[in-house]
Amino acid sequence: MADDKKKKDKEPDMTFFHPDLLEAPKDGSAPYLKGYRCKKCGKLDFPKLSPCPLCWGEDFEMVPLSRKGKLYSFADIYIGQPGMNTPYIVGYIDLPEDIRIFAQLDGEVQTFKCDEDVELTTGPIRMNQDGLPIISYKFKKAN
Amino acid sequence: MKLQREVFIVGVGETVFGRRKEDYDALGREAAFKAIKDAKISRPDMIQSAYVGNAHNGIVTGQTIFKDLGMCGKTPIINVESACSAGAMAVHLAIKDVATGLTEISMGVGAENHTLRRQKGTAFTPAMNDIEAVHGGVMTGKYSMRATRYMYERGATIEDFAMITVKNRKHATHNPHALYRGEVSIEEVVNSRMIAYPMTLHQCCAISDGAGAVVVCSKEMVKKLGIEKPVKVAGSVVTSGPYHNGPRDITGDDITEMTTEMLYKESGVGPKEVNILELHDAFTIAELLYYECMQLCGKGEGLKFLRDGQSTYGGQCVVSPRGGMLAYGHPIGASGAAQIAANVKQLRGQCGGYQVEPIPKVAMSHVTGGGLSGTEHAACTMHMLVKGW
Repeated sequence: MADDKKKKDKEPDMTFFHPDLLEAPKDGSAPYLKGYRCKKCGKLDFPKLSPCPLCWGEDFEMVPLSRKGKLYSFADIYIGQPGMNTPYIVGYIDLPEDIRIFAQLDGEVQTFKCDEDVELTTGPIRMNQDGLPIISYKFKKAN
Repeated sequence: MKLQREVFIVGVGETVFGRRKEDYDALGREAAFKAIKDAKISRPDMIQSAYVGNAHNGIVTGQTIFKDLGMCGKTPIINVESACSAGAMAVHLAIKDVATGLTEISMGVGAENHTLRRQKGTAFTPAMNDIEAVHGGVMTGKYSMRATRYMYERGATIEDFAMITVKNRKHATHNPHALYRGEVSIEEVVNSRMIAYPMTLHQCCAISDGAGAVVVCSKEMVKKLGIEKPVKVAGSVVTSGPYHNGPRDITGDDITEMTTEMLYKESGVGPKEVNILELHDAFTIAELLYYECMQLCGKGEGLKFLRDGQSTYGGQCVVSPRGGMLAYGHPIGASGAAQIAANVKQLRGQCGGYQVEPIPKVAMSHVTGGGLSGTEHAACTMHMLVKGW
């Protein structure tokens, strides 16, 4: 009977974004973003692109990126993506390694300012298809 | 692309833009048939290639549009997608066919219906395999970050941004194709619903439906068709967005700056010679940034250019004379082709009620395309048109 037919087991959806990009140690030590330096031309990239868009090199070494940066600009979003709770805040964070990160910001709307210091944190960025939060990198005001 | 021989626009068509019950194919067909008749083309097999820009409406969109015009089976039809640049890219490809001598007559169409298909109350989003999209990136957010930085560096206010909506809707007052027309006050714009600070509802292009179409041909064919006011294509440039993961100035726009440089060089037209300009005013901040990116004024002078009235009637260059996306809404696959159609009508002096005076001789258009992490935009398409008679 059709009812007895077992549904195909679905792979559980992602709950952590993304082990290649973010290390969140279980021992409680501070999380960090993973940059990738091309062994051929020395270009440091985040996120990892393979091959290296500058020289097509295919070998990289992982480099932990600075946890603090400057908030270049930001947006308090009141009408967002389908399925996302609003308001939420996004911003561009410039790291000392000359890398710009796009991330959600932890905090209240109408409180952020351009060029203020922010630091890395982790937290839910959205729900996955199974209704569970996806944990990823975020930034918050630096202490 | 250097045009290898002269190419002329001989027929254009556009639909009324707004929340339309007709799907993209009916809209595209309406615009295409208008352009075909405008070009005095009498048989479907005269059109030797056709390109159709669309972003969200599915597969074989071009063939669906052209089937009822009797072109399927006679004309190679190619579908083009690059988000907001799609319609202009379709026209570019038609121009390229004629310029290289592959065809004598070709056409480009842009058509889109969003309202029959989109979830209301949500924002346009890059594809979900994009790292910024996963983290909540939306187009309104991207432009609001530009606006926030612009306010921080330049001392601009929301009221300054609102002036762009007021201006563009005023330009559209008597344009029957536009969705939003006529008087709106700065206060109404500023006090409309907040979408992504500082972009309020009336500073964002509406979600709307529509289509535009453009027929191009060789010089010889202009005579054969008996076209009295052919518009010459002085330049047509498509670029892809440079990738970078480092800090960059978002009060500029590298892809627009690069494409503009190429277009000026290709066309031999300088920024001070451009009489009218339709640009990607999807959000007020965009138009403000692009004055500088397109060298209508110097770096740092965009705000003054706006406040001095240089981008409206009587100014240096009338920007968004049809009303722009802020008046038409922005069916993303359609806008690029519709801008070109509107510019052609301005050059011919056919825009009763919203005609720019004196009748312009040089018209430029610009659409970027797509949110893609690491780029300002995935694509940019620009055209320079000049009076050809």
